[in-house]
Amino acid sequence: MNREYPVSDEALIKAAQRGDRDAAAWLYSRHVDRVHRICYRIVMDPSQVQDCVQEVWLKVFRNLGRFRSGRSFAAWLNTVAANTAIDFYRKYTRQRNHPDVDETYVKASVADKQPGNQQLDKALVQQQIQEALQEISVNQRTAFVLRYFENMPTAEIARVLGCGEGTVRVHICRSLLALRAKLAGKLNQ
Amino acid sequence: MENPRLSFEEFKALFQDRFESQEELLREYHSLVSIFKHLDQAPVPDFSSEEKAEIFKRAWRERPQKSSWVITCIDLLRQPAVTFAVGVIVGCIVMSAVANNRLRLAQTASADPLLSVEHTKYTQTYKGKMIEEFYPEFENPKIVLEKAASSSPPQRTLYGTLDNGEITVVWNL
Repeated sequence: MNREYPVSDEALIKAAQRGDRDAAAWLYSRHVDRVHRICYRIVMDPSQVQDCVQEVWLKVFRNLGRFRSGRSFAAWLNTVAANTAIDFYRKYTRQRNHPDVDETYVKASVADKQPGNQQLDKALVQQQIQEALQEISVNQRTAFVLRYFENMPTAEIARVLGCGEGTVRVHICRSLLALRAKLAGKLNQ
Repeated sequence: MENPRLSFEEFKALFQDRFESQEELLREYHSLVSIFKHLDQAPVPDFSSEEKAEIFKRAWRERPQKSSWVITCIDLLRQPAVTFAVGVIVGCIVMSAVANNRLRLAQTASADPLLSVEHTKYTQTYKGKMIEEFYPEFENPKIVLEKAASSSPPQRTLYGTLDNGEITVVWNL
């Protein structure tokens, strides 16, 4: 599947709405990696990601008929992906009896392992980053992921999360503080 | 050392109140930029092509099926100009239906008046629902007011029938 296929998303959506499987496949191939990235970074459990991505695309194709032309498909897809991943994460943590972190709570006290060690290996740093992102709430993580990995503006993130832009900024602040608290003094400058 | 993901300006806007000096702010920014570098080095493991194909196949198979002409109609109705035109046409149809019904109601009312009066040179005949309600025992009752001359007193007579027109009734009132 060639992702550079020179047809607009809108044209592919119209064809897919008429039942054109190839057009739907082009559309899917163009966006599947982004959906995968969003889900992976929000759900944070590789064993659950495929099911989450599957759920996103089931929703997309079920609701494609209702998609109005003139809107950005990518923005709509980001919203579907992020909300599905949040729901998926919450459902999964409930099943594991592992409560989601409270919105106002940021665990910022983990910078206690070997302070000042400049030679932490990459794997350990990655693990610490993962832990920091797991310790924040799913909404904070979603705001962080959409802002810094998907380069989404704050206003769009606010629409995805159904909250105000101020709340999004607070989510982002807390995610950054959590990362800093977890990794302060452990990275080579 | 700027980071394309987190610019110093954005960092400053988020944390200005939290740090006392510009130096501290800059130091914290650089610390976070290092974290972002590590984030960049943690790529998301790709799905295999089989996994991708499987996800697409299932999602496409489980979508609701609609016939293409329904979709074409829905597509057409979603165009604002078409929606407006359809709205105007529906409005006209509703208005015309309402107007026609009103005419028909008026016609029904006028076909069966409460009281109608027919005038001739010497007589006035009163008939209609009101007279029928006064004399329910008669069929097609009517009261005729006759004046033989302008100075003579009027004479009132009730005309009607009984037993489906078999018996004619003439009754001086």
